[in-house]
Amino acid sequence: MSTTNPQSDAPSGEGAPRGPRRWSRRVADGSPAAAARARRRSKQRRRVANVAGLMAALVLTGTLYSALSPAYATDESNTSESSAEAAGRELYERSCITCHGENLEGVPTRGPSLIGVGEAAVYFQVHTGRMPLVRQEAQGPDKPAVFSDEEIDQLMAYVQANGGGPTLPSGDLREGDLTEGGELFRLNCASCHNFVGEGGALSSGKRAPSLEDANDLEIYTAMLTGPENMPVFGDNQLTPEEKRSIVNYVQTVKEQADPGGFGVGRIGPVAEGVVIWVVGVAALLFGIFWMGSKA
Amino acid sequence: MTTRESAPGSTGGADVPGPLHGGPDDDYTPEQLATMPREELDLLGARYDDVQVLHVDPGPEPGSAVERQAVRQVALTFGLAGLAAFAAFVIYAGSGWFLPDWQWTITEGGWSAVFTPMIGALGGLALILVGVGMVLYTKKLLPHETAVQDKHDGSHFDRVTTGATLVGGLHNSGLARRKLITRSLVFMGSGIGLMLLMPLGGLIRNPNTGDPLGTTSWAEGVRLVRDDGSPIRPGDQQPGSLETVFPAVAGGNRESDAATMLIRLRPEQVTVDRPRTGQEDFGYGDYVAYSKICTHAGCPVSLYEQETSRILCPCHQSQFDVTQGAKPVFGPATRPLPQLPITVDDEGYFVARSDYIEAVGPTYWNRERI
Amino acid sequence: MARTATAPGVPTTRLGKAALEVDDRLIVAGPLRRTLNKVFPDHWSFLLGEIALYSFIVLLLSGTYLTFFFDASMREVVYEGTYAPLRGAEMSAAYESTLYISFDVRGGLFMRQLHHWAALLFVASIVIHLLRIFFTGAFRRPRETNWLIGVALLVLSFAMGFTGYSMPDDLLSGTGLRIVSAIILAIPVVGTWVHWAVFNGDYVGEFIVGRMYIVHVLIVPAIILALIALHLLILVKQKHTQFPGPGRTEHNVVGNRLFPAFAGKAGGLFFIVFGVCAALGGLVQINPVWLWGPYNPAQVSAASQPDWYVMFLDGSTRLFPAWDLNLPGNYQIPALFWPTVVLPGILFTLLALYPMIERKLTRDTASHHLLQRPRDVPVRTSLGMMAITFYVVLLISGGNDVIAEKFDISLNAMTWAGRIGLVILPPLAYVFTYRICLGLQKHDREVLEHGLETGVIRRLPHGEFIEVHQPLGPVDEHGHGQLAYGGAPVPKRMNQVGGARRAIRGFFKPIEEPAQVELEQRQDEHGLAAAEADRELTTSGRPSDGGRPQEPRD
Repeated sequence: MSTTNPQSDAPSGEGAPRGPRRWSRRVADGSPAAAARARRRSKQRRRVANVAGLMAALVLTGTLYSALSPAYATDESNTSESSAEAAGRELYERSCITCHGENLEGVPTRGPSLIGVGEAAVYFQVHTGRMPLVRQEAQGPDKPAVFSDEEIDQLMAYVQANGGGPTLPSGDLREGDLTEGGELFRLNCASCHNFVGEGGALSSGKRAPSLEDANDLEIYTAMLTGPENMPVFGDNQLTPEEKRSIVNYVQTVKEQADPGGFGVGRIGPVAEGVVIWVVGVAALLFGIFWMGSKA
Repeated sequence: MTTRESAPGSTGGADVPGPLHGGPDDDYTPEQLATMPREELDLLGARYDDVQVLHVDPGPEPGSAVERQAVRQVALTFGLAGLAAFAAFVIYAGSGWFLPDWQWTITEGGWSAVFTPMIGALGGLALILVGVGMVLYTKKLLPHETAVQDKHDGSHFDRVTTGATLVGGLHNSGLARRKLITRSLVFMGSGIGLMLLMPLGGLIRNPNTGDPLGTTSWAEGVRLVRDDGSPIRPGDQQPGSLETVFPAVAGGNRESDAATMLIRLRPEQVTVDRPRTGQEDFGYGDYVAYSKICTHAGCPVSLYEQETSRILCPCHQSQFDVTQGAKPVFGPATRPLPQLPITVDDEGYFVARSDYIEAVGPTYWNRERI
Repeated sequence: MARTATAPGVPTTRLGKAALEVDDRLIVAGPLRRTLNKVFPDHWSFLLGEIALYSFIVLLLSGTYLTFFFDASMREVVYEGTYAPLRGAEMSAAYESTLYISFDVRGGLFMRQLHHWAALLFVASIVIHLLRIFFTGAFRRPRETNWLIGVALLVLSFAMGFTGYSMPDDLLSGTGLRIVSAIILAIPVVGTWVHWAVFNGDYVGEFIVGRMYIVHVLIVPAIILALIALHLLILVKQKHTQFPGPGRTEHNVVGNRLFPAFAGKAGGLFFIVFGVCAALGGLVQINPVWLWGPYNPAQVSAASQPDWYVMFLDGSTRLFPAWDLNLPGNYQIPALFWPTVVLPGILFTLLALYPMIERKLTRDTASHHLLQRPRDVPVRTSLGMMAITFYVVLLISGGNDVIAEKFDISLNAMTWAGRIGLVILPPLAYVFTYRICLGLQKHDREVLEHGLETGVIRRLPHGEFIEVHQPLGPVDEHGHGQLAYGGAPVPKRMNQVGGARRAIRGFFKPIEEPAQVELEQRQDEHGLAAAEADRELTTSGRPSDGGRPQEPRD
C-alpha cells in the first residue's frame, strides 16, 4: 500500500468496487436521498463484483428516473414557491403539522419549531425514519423511512425555503484523511458512539445509536445539525473537510473485515467475557465430562 | 572401616554397603527379581509405593472387532490432526509465496482477512484432535485398572527424631546462653535488612512538590485551542455544541489533566443556567468551560446530551448537569466538574482567565489542603 | 555394587542399558516409580485445576513469543505501518509494536489473540477450580495451605491480567490505567505517595509501561511458577482428596495410576486446552487495539470496561453511592476508595481465611480426605451461592451500559437494579440454596429408607393403587431400608442399580450391538439386576404399608 489513503487518492471510475463513489459524485446533482441509500450495505457489494455491477446499473436507472421525473426540480428559482416546495408543504400539512404546527412554528410540549433547522436536519430525521414519531418517548428510534426519497426531497425543499438553515453538503463525503478522521472520531464521537460507532447507552434510556446502518449523508447531517441529544458540530467547529474525514473513517472501518476472526460486535471485554465462558469454558467442561465418562 | 580412614591419598572405603544400607534390595536379590515376570514386578513395585491394584479391566481383545474399530478411530483422529497441522503450516508458510499474501490490506477482505482465522481453525483443530486421540486411546485401548493407594499420617518417630536433631543443633550453638551474640545478631539483621531495602527509596518521590495534582497548564491569558492547535472565536460553535479544548502550550493536547470541554449553551439552557456560587462570571456569554476529567476516577467525561444538559461519564456513569455548574446528579461522583474561567482576548479568541481554582480530576486525601 | 555382564537383572536391550547408565548417575528409578504409581481419583472435577495449569503453560509459550516484538516504551512515534487508518498518527512505541505484532508479523495476530484468550481462560479455570474446592470442602485440614496458595494465585492472575491488558497503551487500556491511577490516589494518607512511587510522578508519565512490562513478564510469572510448583508439591505430598464411595476411606485414594491411564488423559487435556485457546485465538477477534486507537488522556469510548475478571470491581464502583468521607482537618476519603480497595480487600481476605473461619465455627479440626457433597453442608453451600450471587450482580453491573444499550434498558434503571439486587439477591440465594440442599438431603434419606420408585403401579386387593418401591438393601419388618447415608450419591433411578440393562456404550452414538450386550449380561451375572432378578418387589415403601399383607407372588 503506497498511499496514505486509498479511499480518497485512488482514481474513481471503473470497476465494481467504485460503485459507491459514483454515487457520491451524483450527490452534487442534488439527489442526496437516493445517493445515500446506495451506500447502505456497500460492504457486501464490494465483495461481489457482479452484484456491484448490477447495483451500479440500478443506480444509473434511478438517477435517470429522478432526473426525468416531473416532480423533481431543484432549480433555485426565488420567484415563487417551486413545485417541490408546494409538494413538500402538502406533505408537511398531512404528516407533520400535528406536532410541528402551522408554518413550521412548532407546538409547545409536542414538537419544536422547524424554522431555521435547514434541509440537513430534515434529511437526517426523515431519512433515518426518526420522523414522523410514532409516540413521544425518551428518544425517537430509527426505523424504516416513511417517505420516499422523492418526498424527502420535497420536504427538504419546503423547510429550507422557510427559514433556511444548514444545507446538504455536496461532493464526495469521503474526501478526507482517514487517520485524521480516526483521531477526530475518537476525540468527538467515540465517547458516545463507542470506538468504531457500535453505539452506546446514555442516561435514562437514551442512547447514542450504532452507526452500522448509517450512510455517509446521515452521518454528515447528524454532525451538522445535532439531532436530539447529540451536540451540534457546526462548520466552524468541525470544518466540512474534517467532517468528511470522519465520515471516511467511520465508513472505511465499518466496511473493513476483521483480520482476527469473528468480531463479536467490536465492543471489547463484555463480549469477550461472554465468549470465554459460553464457548471456551463450556467446551472444556464438555471435554472433561467426556474424559470422565466410562468408555 | 569408617570414613575417618579415608584420608587424602588413601584408596577410601572398600566397595561394600554400610551397615545402614537396606530396603527392598535386601528383600529381593537380583536373582529372585530376574525370575519374576514383568507384571508381577510392576505390582511388586506398586506395593512398595503403597499402591494396590484392585481390579484390571483388560482392554479390548487383541484382534477383536472392538479393538480394530478403536484402533481405526484413534488412527483416524491422529491422522486428521496431522492433516490439519500440515494444512496450517502450508497456509502459514505458503501465504505470499504460492498463496495470496497474508499481509493485511484494508481495501480487500480476501485472503488476508481469513489468514489468521484459518491458522487458528486448523491449528486449534489439530491440537484438539491430538488431545481427543490421546483420550480415545486411553479410554478404548488401554486396560482400565482400579488402584488404591494408602495415605499415611505423619510419623511420630520422624517427628521425635527430627526434633532431637534440631534442638540438639541449637543447643550446641549455645545461642540461648550467649546473649551478646544474639543481640548483635538482631542488631545486624535489622541493619542489613534496611540496607537491602534501601534502594527501593529511589522509587519514592514527593507528590506535594509544586502541587502537580492541583495545577494544570491553564493560566491567565492562555488561549483555548483545538486538538490541532487552532484558537476558537465565540462565533465558531453552534448553540448546543461541545468542543474539547486544550491550553495553548507545548504538548497541551497530550496533558492528562488539561483537557477542557467548551460548551455553548442553547438559549433555553441559558435561561435556567445556575452556576456555582462565586463562579457566576466564569462563563462567557452562552459559553461555559468545564474540566473534561471526571472528579470520580479521572475518565474523560464528554457524553454530552444537549437536550437534557447532562454530561455522562462512560466509565462509571456519573452524570453532571451543565446548567447547575456541572453538579453530579447521578452515579458515584461526588464533586462538580471544575469550571475554567474564560474570556475573550484582544484578537477575539477565547482565553483562560486563570488556572482552575480547584484541583481537577479524582479526589485524594489532602486535596482540600493544598 | 560391582556388576558383571553375567549378573542377573542386567539389562540386555540398548534402552535398558541407557536407563541403567542414567540411574547409575542420578538414582532416579525409585522416585520415578513412586511418581508413576501415584494414584489419581477418576472424577471429572479433579481436572479443573489442570485446565488452569495448562492454560498457564500456553500463556508462557505465547507470551515469550510476544516479547520478541513488543517494545515496552512510552516513546512517542509516528505510525508508518500496514494498518492504513492509523498511518501518520502519533502513538507510543508500545502501541506501535502491538500494531506491528498484529499486522506485520506473520502469525503475530494469532499469537496475540491466543495469549489473550488463554489469559481469560486461565482466570476462569482458576475460579471454577476454586469453586469445586470450596463446595466439596476440599480446603479443610490438612489442605489450608494449598487453599491459601490458590487464593494467592488467583490474586496474582488478576495482576498478570491487568498488567497485560494495560501494556499495549491503547485507548481502552489507557482508560483502565487512568482509573487505576485514581484508585491509587484514593488511598487515604499515602495515596499520592504510592501513586508517585508507582508512576514515578503524575499520571501518566514515561515509566509505567516499562514497569508493568517487567512485572508482567518476570516478577509475577516467577512468583506464579514458584507457587504452582509449591501447590503441586503439597498436593503430591498430601495426596488427593476423593468423593466418598465404595472402598474409599480417609486413608486411601482410589483411582488410576499416573502411568499410563492418567497420563494419557492429562496429556490429552493439555492438547485440548491448547487447541481451544488456539481455535479461539484464530477464530474470535479479541482486543482489536487497532480499532481502539492509541491512548490519549482527552479521549474515551463509551462502554470502556476491564476484562471480565476485573469487571466486578468496575461494577462495584458504578453501584457505590457518592459518599465522600470528609474528615476533620480537611482530609478526605473519596467514594472511590471503598468499592475498589476496601471491598476487594475484604472479599479476598474472607476468601483466604474461609478455612480458618469454618474451622472456628464448626470446631471441626480433624483431618479430612473425603470430600463432602454440597447438599450435606447446606450452610457452606448457601454461603457460597450467596457469594456467587453477590459477585454476579457486580459482574453484570460492570457491563450494565452494554446491557442497557443492547437490550434497550435505561442505564439509570440498570444502576438502581444493581444497587437493590446487591442487597436483596444474596440473602435470597442463601435461603433458596439452603432449602434446596435440605430437600435433596431429605430425598436421599427417603430413597435409602423406602427404596427407589420403580414406576410400577400395582392395585392392591382392596382397590388401593401403590407404586412399588425397590429397596436398596435389606429391610426391616416395616419394609424400611437399613442403609445409612454415607455421603456418597444415592441412586435415584432404577437404571442406576441395574434395573434396566446396562447402558449401551458410546458417547455420541452406540458402539456396540444391544443384542450382544444382553447376551453378555446373561452370561456374567453381576450387578444388582442379575443377582436380584427374582427379588420380590414388595411394598410401596411407605410407612403405612408396614402392616399390610404381602401380595401373592406372580
